[in-house]
Amino acid sequence: MAIIDGFNKIFESKIRLGIMSVLVANGSADFATLKSLLELTDGNLASHTRSLEEAGYLTCEKKFVGRKPNTTYIVTEEGRKAFAAHVDALERFLRECKG
Amino acid sequence: MEEKEIRQTLSDIREMMSKSSRFQAISGWSIIVIGLYAAVASLMAAAVIGVGDWFPCFENLQKYANLNTPSRIRIAAFIAIGLFALSLLTVFVFAMIKSKRHNLPFALDKRMCQMLLDFFIPLVAGGLFSMALVMQGHYGLTSSVMLLFYGLALVNCSHYTYPILRYLGYAELILGIIDCFTMSHALLFWFLGFSVMHIVFGIAYVLMFERRK
Repeated sequence: MAIIDGFNKIFESKIRLGIMSVLVANGSADFATLKSLLELTDGNLASHTRSLEEAGYLTCEKKFVGRKPNTTYIVTEEGRKAFAAHVDALERFLRECKG
Repeated sequence: MEEKEIRQTLSDIREMMSKSSRFQAISGWSIIVIGLYAAVASLMAAAVIGVGDWFPCFENLQKYANLNTPSRIRIAAFIAIGLFALSLLTVFVFAMIKSKRHNLPFALDKRMCQMLLDFFIPLVAGGLFSMALVMQGHYGLTSSVMLLFYGLALVNCSHYTYPILRYLGYAELILGIIDCFTMSHALLFWFLGFSVMHIVFGIAYVLMFERRK
């Protein structure tokens, strides 16, 4: 496996990349929406969002709707930049393959 | 191998971004079908109002020719309401089938509520307005009000789904404005706007978004 310049280790996981795709496109998304879009289990999604939160790419907002907890994830400016840089790096790599 | 993988990753990202931000469940076929309903409804209305005497299938509707104008218009209004309900039901059922088949999100979530609200606010206002026009006898402007408010409703909700829906809205608006300034031929404009445009747009929509699936 060649290590390519600009690829972000955090986005090596397809799930984390998927979460960031949804968040960058929409600004924010709640837990249930992410879960159904990415077809994940609760625990799986929670662990990936936690690692993204630790990286500073998203923040989470917890509140209660009635008695049900409702978590909304919001992409940070840093997260947007990291995502854009990663996509750029992927595209650059493809261009170099062609050229 | 790695190149292929990266290409796949990029297309996954693109798909996830558009799947999550747009409401894609609307089926192009349902747009064509409601255009066909509208064609039938226009012919029925033409027969009831009395501009369609030439149409033989609706001979039994000709008995309404004895009625006075307000009650004939009222029957036409009922046809329009029936058509509206049937069209909504059709779009909904087709959307449900499409979302099930392609595994698209189709639930009454925040985005869908917002889209429905954006669609129905201009539509309900326009519907009540055209009802008032009919009740007060200003029949001539009814079709243009319907076209104008329907166009506004489409433009208003288009950013939640394929942005191309906006162009159907613009077309309805232009047609409605021409209709405002044209004496008579209301039913013809109505037919163009609700039948011909839906069929043409529906075919374009199917060709652009649904052909390969």
